[in-house]
Amino acid sequence: MDNKKDYQADRRRFLVSMGVAGAATLAGPSLSAMVNEGEVEWGEDHEIVVIGSGFTGLAAAIEAHKLGATDIVVYDMMPYFGGNSTYNGGLFAVPDSPLQKENGIEDSPERMTADQVLAGRGLAYQDLLLHVASHANEALQMTLDAGTEYLPYLQQLGGHSVPRTYQTIEACGAGIIRPLVEQCRKLGIKLVTRAKFKRLIFNKEGTVEGAEIAMGYYFGRDVDGTPVNVRSKRGLLIATGGFARNVGLRSAQDPTLTEEVPSTNPPSATGEALLEMFRVGAVPVHMAYIQTGPWASPDEDGFGYVSNYSIYNFAHSVSINVRTGKRFMNEIADRKTRSDAQLALRNDDGSPLPPITITSFEDAKEHPTMEKVLKYKVGWKFDTLEELTAHFNVPLEPLKAQIEEYNGYVKSGMDEQFGKPMGKAEGKYIRAPFVVVRNWPKVHYCQGGAQIDVHARVIGSDNWQPIPGLYAGGEVTGGMHGVSRLGSCSIPDCMVMGMTAARTMMKS
Amino acid sequence: MKPQMILTVFIMSALAVFTAENTFSAGALKQFGDHMGRSHHALLYKRQSCDSCHENSEPTAFPADFVCLDCHDEVELVQATARPEEEKWQNPHNNMHYGKDVPCMECHGEHRESELLCAGCHSFDYPDFKK
Ligand SMILES: Cc1cc2nc3c(=O)[nH]c(=O)nc-3n(C[C@H](O)[C@H](O)[C@H](O)COP(=O)(O)OP(=O)(O)OC[C@H]3O[C@@H](n4cnc5c(N)ncnc54)[C@H](O)[C@@H]3O)c2cc1C
Ligand code: HEC
Ligand code: HEC
Ligand code: HEC
Ligand code: HEC
Repeated sequence: MDNKKDYQADRRRFLVSMGVAGAATLAGPSLSAMVNEGEVEWGEDHEIVVIGSGFTGLAAAIEAHKLGATDIVVYDMMPYFGGNSTYNGGLFAVPDSPLQKENGIEDSPERMTADQVLAGRGLAYQDLLLHVASHANEALQMTLDAGTEYLPYLQQLGGHSVPRTYQTIEACGAGIIRPLVEQCRKLGIKLVTRAKFKRLIFNKEGTVEGAEIAMGYYFGRDVDGTPVNVRSKRGLLIATGGFARNVGLRSAQDPTLTEEVPSTNPPSATGEALLEMFRVGAVPVHMAYIQTGPWASPDEDGFGYVSNYSIYNFAHSVSINVRTGKRFMNEIADRKTRSDAQLALRNDDGSPLPPITITSFEDAKEHPTMEKVLKYKVGWKFDTLEELTAHFNVPLEPLKAQIEEYNGYVKSGMDEQFGKPMGKAEGKYIRAPFVVVRNWPKVHYCQGGAQIDVHARVIGSDNWQPIPGLYAGGEVTGGMHGVSRLGSCSIPDCMVMGMTAARTMMKS
Repeated sequence: MKPQMILTVFIMSALAVFTAENTFSAGALKQFGDHMGRSHHALLYKRQSCDSCHENSEPTAFPADFVCLDCHDEVELVQATARPEEEKWQNPHNNMHYGKDVPCMECHGEHRESELLCAGCHSFDYPDFKK
């Protein structure tokens, strides 16, 4: 039985006895970020070092390999890979895509950028948006090469002027992450879990030379791991995602986002690496623009099933204030507009009064999430309007009139109430039987983060020049989306900026 | 020795012990000397072989991730908890978000209660899961 220690040796990543020694070491005074290179004892040496294994990190690693890098390592602090990305809804906006061409839909990177600029309310960085939109097809191709499969039709999400959104067949970002992880393994890219990035290490010239990584870190189990100084020849990419789960940080930006507001993110969205970038001089951008998702449900935890269900169905549904039986918003306005409208719905005592969203069963059943919504009882099916109104305590007559009125807009193609684009609702009258869910916003996405340029270089606040050797991409960065990100625009952002970082690093 | 053969040998001797002492209550958390442990691993505790999971016989820290696969065969494990096609990614040992990449201890506690990773966000039914 002695050879058992060799079995799966590659997966037995660390001697965990290191964990305890590490805890003691970390208790000492922390190293300064500016260490003389001569004094650093390097524990490991790699060509490319990536921190974070979501869309951004994995896309960077694969692109770096394609460009000839032979020693690439991706670290993640969690016991597994994929961060927010593997819980994501799998919606991926691509302008000028193969599916658009097949369906004769006219689109361009400029048009997608214009839609995003509008949602960004004047604060979005157009150069970054256009860069991402112009390269989104390459990112789509990278996922297809890895084996991702997409639904055969496009969706038109809130704030987008044309249908341009792909969705994985799983309706989940895992449909991209699992293949990308497999691809990394095939290409010999090293993937290391339980490895937490602590701080940056600079050389005398002020170039990022590497990082201190706590190896054998156990998230949530009080084991800090052993610090190892890891050197990276071509620089370091920070791809650590957002900070939606860091209540201190998010409520410092927006005091309404206390611990009582739920989030769609997994607990790894801590933003600690972002704070380390700020500590060495990165420019904080748009930190207070923290997006809440108007399609979430108060009847389940996290993103749940209702989110993807509502994202698909809003275009041909009515959202109703249960008090009045009337619509109160354009169901496919951008996220901020809709969240604000929902948050305004209150009982007399100020407590939340979640609206209901009504869809025809015939239309809802076209998307795979409807079955889940009904099965897990976070949505309900009704044969008549009477049953529906009794269940939610909605006044029947006003609702009847509202639906009739709305069906008129479906027919005319013009929403005279809220100006909703009716293209995707064509022929989809609200009729029995109905499927109904409740909606209420949850903290979803951090528009803010560290400033970068179109080469994924992190900008320093001392001289407004790139900090040499330091790159960042994805949700940890800020600026691209301004006040409000449009749905399905993070996947292209993350993947393209990851690929961009790899391209820049390989030129360095 | 192949892992599968190791398990077979273990099962045979383990079953012998379980039957002999008639203490079989699958998966329960039980006291073995100074330590809590799982009844299905009783034999490991009887033999004081902490190092069948840990790096040494007087452990102070967590065992390596996936050390359990020294005895449990991954392919068989994935099959044992496989589900019908429309639920196939609910298989905890080959799941939607992580495939086969979740360390065993993220769901199975050995000396403590088990906490299922998926439970926070889903309510899938796992009848054979032992707290
Ligand atoms: C539920 C949900 C659904 C969504 N749906 C969509 C959608 O359909 N379409 C869309 O475009 N966008 C969607 N988004 C947004 C999008 O998924 C995220 O913005 C995106 O996944 C972020 O990717 P990333 O690569 O920047 O970071 P992440 O995927 O979050 O990865 C960051 C990784 O870094 C690790 N990490 C963090 N700190 C450290 C550290 N100090 N050391 C080491 N590792 C660290 C984390 O563990 C994590 O694995 C959704 C988001 C959520 C939460
Ligand atoms: C030294 C070999 C060995 C190691 C290492 C080992 N096991 Fe086991 N395990 C066994 C044996 C033998 C049984 C009892 C036979 C059986 O029921 O499959 C068992 C049973 C189990 C069962 C109950 C199986 C059932 O059918 O209900 C679970 C669950 C389990 N082990 C989980 C683990 C986990 C998790 C680890 C790692 C922390 C682990 N085992 C490490 C040998 C081992
Ligand atoms: C079947 C595998 C297995 C065996 C056998 C085993 N352990 Fe463990 N041990 C684990 C796992 C898994 C953990 C992680 C925590 C948990 O799940 O309880 C752990 C954790 C520990 C820890 C760290 C506890 C902490 O919370 O920091 C100690 C100490 C420990 N075991 C001691 C022992 C001793 C002593 C023995 C022998 C009497 C032993 N273990 C036998 C699997 C095992
Ligand atoms: C942090 C929350 C979270 C955790 C933890 C989590 N999931 Fe999910 N899961 C999601 C989200 C979000 C989706 C996408 C929902 C959708 O389809 O709209 C999803 C989708 C799925 C789906 C496809 C939809 C379905 O219900 O069939 C499966 C299967 C699944 N997860 C299995 C698992 C398993 C197994 C685990 C445990 C290893 C797990 N998940 C842990 C959030 C989570
Ligand atoms: C994502 C959570 C999760 C992880 C990670 C996990 N398990 Fe399980 N395991 C379960 C659940 C849930 C069941 C019960 C399945 C059911 O009821 O259908 C189970 C059942 C088992 C069984 C009994 C299988 C049988 O024959 O019925 C064994 C043995 C086992 N796990 C071992 C392991 C080992 C070894 C690992 C690491 C390679 C591991 N598990 C990782 C959740 C997990």
